[in-house]
Amino acid sequence: MSIQRLPVTVVGGYLGAGKTTLVNHVLRSTEERIAVIVNDFGEISIDEDLIVAADSDKLTLANGCICCTLADGFAAALMQIRSAGTLPQRLLIEASGVADPTQIAAYGHTPGLRLDAVVVMADAEQVRRQANDRWVADTVRMQLAAADLLVVNKIDLLDDADKADDLCDWLAGLSAGAAVVRASRAAVPIDVLLGPGSASDAADTSERPAPAGVVARGWHTVEDLFESQTVVLDAPLPMPIIEALLADLPDGIARIKGLLQAVPPASTEDASEANAAEAAATACLVEAVGKRTSITPHATDLTQPPPQWAISLISLKGALAPDWLRSHLQPSC
Amino acid sequence: MTTAHADRSETNEPFVIYPARRVITINPAFPYGEAVAVAGDRILGVGSTDELASWGEHRIDDRFAEHVIMPGFIEAHCHVMSGGLWNSTYVGYFDRRDPQGLLWPGCTSIDDVLERLAKAAADMTDDSQTLLAWGLDPIYFPGERLVARHLDTVTGDRPTLILHASGHLATINSALMDRCGIDETATSPGVARGGDGLPNGELHEPAGMMLAGEAFVDMMKANRSEQARWRYGNEARNAGHTLLTDLGTTQLWDPDQLSNWKKVTGDPTYPARVMVAMSNLFGATAEPAELAELCVQLKSEQTDKLRFGIVKLILDGSIQGFTARISWPHYYKPPPGHIGNGLWLTAPDQMADLVEPYHRAGLTVHCHCNGDEASEVFIDAVEQVLERHPRWDHRHTVQHCQLTTPDQYRRMAALGMCANIFSNHIYYWGDQHRDVTVGPERAARMDACGTALASGVSFSIHSDSPITPLGHLHTAWCAVNRLTASGQVLGPDERIGVPDALRAITIEAARQIKMDAEIGSIEAGKLADFAVLEDDPLTVDPMALRDIGVWGTVLGGVLQPAQTSDA
Ligand SMILES: [Zn+2]
Ligand SMILES: [Zn+2]
Repeated sequence: MSIQRLPVTVVGGYLGAGKTTLVNHVLRSTEERIAVIVNDFGEISIDEDLIVAADSDKLTLANGCICCTLADGFAAALMQIRSAGTLPQRLLIEASGVADPTQIAAYGHTPGLRLDAVVVMADAEQVRRQANDRWVADTVRMQLAAADLLVVNKIDLLDDADKADDLCDWLAGLSAGAAVVRASRAAVPIDVLLGPGSASDAADTSERPAPAGVVARGWHTVEDLFESQTVVLDAPLPMPIIEALLADLPDGIARIKGLLQAVPPASTEDASEANAAEAAATACLVEAVGKRTSITPHATDLTQPPPQWAISLISLKGALAPDWLRSHLQPSC
Repeated sequence: MTTAHADRSETNEPFVIYPARRVITINPAFPYGEAVAVAGDRILGVGSTDELASWGEHRIDDRFAEHVIMPGFIEAHCHVMSGGLWNSTYVGYFDRRDPQGLLWPGCTSIDDVLERLAKAAADMTDDSQTLLAWGLDPIYFPGERLVARHLDTVTGDRPTLILHASGHLATINSALMDRCGIDETATSPGVARGGDGLPNGELHEPAGMMLAGEAFVDMMKANRSEQARWRYGNEARNAGHTLLTDLGTTQLWDPDQLSNWKKVTGDPTYPARVMVAMSNLFGATAEPAELAELCVQLKSEQTDKLRFGIVKLILDGSIQGFTARISWPHYYKPPPGHIGNGLWLTAPDQMADLVEPYHRAGLTVHCHCNGDEASEVFIDAVEQVLERHPRWDHRHTVQHCQLTTPDQYRRMAALGMCANIFSNHIYYWGDQHRDVTVGPERAARMDACGTALASGVSFSIHSDSPITPLGHLHTAWCAVNRLTASGQVLGPDERIGVPDALRAITIEAARQIKMDAEIGSIEAGKLADFAVLEDDPLTVDPMALRDIGVWGTVLGGVLQPAQTSDA
């Protein structure tokens, strides 16, 4: 594979919302090599069975991942990660419970990195109180507003479905554009968190907490919550179609990820032949999480067989027609 | 003479009597003396030369006959990087004396900054070396902006980085931008752009500054070197200080940093005592309870010159950075796009649980609280912890205490808390506080020594060096006169008298680090730590307090003349 910029996932949210639980869940559920950066070791506890070695500034994890702190700054943390041997496939930064995730997300613009998503956790039982608290109301609202993916955690602690619906509607209002996802014990599907195709087949699912929940209106167990659709592409797509798809996404989409070939809009008379279009097609990575969308050029490695060109979408169950994605990839003329 | 008192001095040498113009003891029961007698590292007594001579075999040392001797000044809040930054070239707005005693005149224009950098670049021999500078404060150059283009004219191809006084920004030249790959394609919000839309060399906040890579990391590393620690001590001595508190910048759980402190302070010539606070910041792997245990352990191993027993916590940001937590109506004229209030650095509802393990371990907690919301949260936490675990004489201290309100001071008095007030702010940023950050009314009651005194709260005052220069005569001058840099009095009703200011920089500072039994006043039996001054702070015009010359210090009986190397 060619050298791609390392995706960065920021996990934020107020104290007690389940950030650490989420980090542990990610480490258990994907085969991606992840480097975790935490603000302070004091604020995180990586499950002990995941740790193979610990020293004062670094934890080495069983799945080849490492965990270090921002104590000496992000540059020092990156240097530590780069010197630790095998390069990671993703950086996961856990923000402190009072941090502004937007500020942490700024690290995702370091050369060689690319910000994938800001995941903000909210405690279903506590978040309303916190968002009106004398001291932290503004902090909590700032965090919620920063979310691309807003995880409403501990949803099982609410005693009825209406409450859950109300809460999610209210949170959607505070985090305009974010994909709002419900979870218990932070068990958000990995494909939703990190993008389609990130889950590990080999991951030990028995270790994963079984989500408690009642199936009712708008009330689902985690496995029940999402569905996905994938379109395999046998020809390049016109760029305007891709741009139009990302420009106006309906509610209920948690993630889009696609590796496809795009053709710029035909602008000259001589571009009348399919050959010309074919020649101009470039590979690009198309992603959306909540309101964050991106189309980035994807450097292809000519020594490797060409990848499968496809685009996948994960949405809340019932939110979209089963052929929504396919129909939105058709030329509208 | 009789040898009955020979065991007073471990060296068996006769004790020394230092006659002085005056000895100001800060002991209310015996406020002044004509001389002080020192046996070994301790004070044998204060009084007239004759009275002191009656103790036995002695030697009279007349060198301070024209000087005024005070208890050594005690800085209860500064940071070891105060020494480390002198590894780089100073380009701040105000005059500042380096640890060698050399006066660096303030750079009061952008041209001054460039001239200083040009000279520094010319003095460098290794072409590949990065030119590092610090202390730039653009707040004093309104309407102008020092950017890479300016730097390039004097630094050429030599990579150059200037760390701003706030610590939140850096400016780099084009050579360093090239080396770090910062160009028009940069997407980081930390990369500032000029009118032409291109990066102008300014890097904002850690996410921006880290793009300068090694240059930035090197600058931070220099703060921990052995040389930094020596410079820190030398700076103290030159300003009449005999104790410095490194308030939470050392990672005490790191064996290297701890042994470095042990090594440096173990050198008999090291010119200061250092209180090193335990801190949960900067990546501690341990839980607060374990850090508390470690701090108690270190306390049992402490020496006369290396002390432990206090803990640093932090709640909010800074007022001039608009990140302090200030109650309604919040900021006066915040910059466009400001979110309305400052930032919490620790969750308020976590505070009591965080204080508790240290409190139970018998340690004293010092918490950074610039805004009044922060001080309220800390006072609440101390109150809760005291309900859970009553404890007398804890001396938990509100650090900075800049906007602490009168009602909060009353609660602090009732709870047995202390204040360490950032009086230097009045001079260095008072004009900005009145005109921009909090407005005239609240600026007038900032750093309220008068209220602290009236409320019966034990208080000290501090420099937070390197944020402002170390030097308690200047800090006392600020508390006494409350003059801003533009020469206006800010909140005249919060001024305190010189005697109270002198207590604040000696015995009260000792009290909040629980060393008042050993230092902070000149009394028989205490450690012989003195500030030796060229003039009498109690008789000079209070406006001239900061101009009093410092001969140096006596530290545990050892003479420590200040280094002056003015060219
Ligand atoms: Zn502070
Ligand atoms: Zn400080």
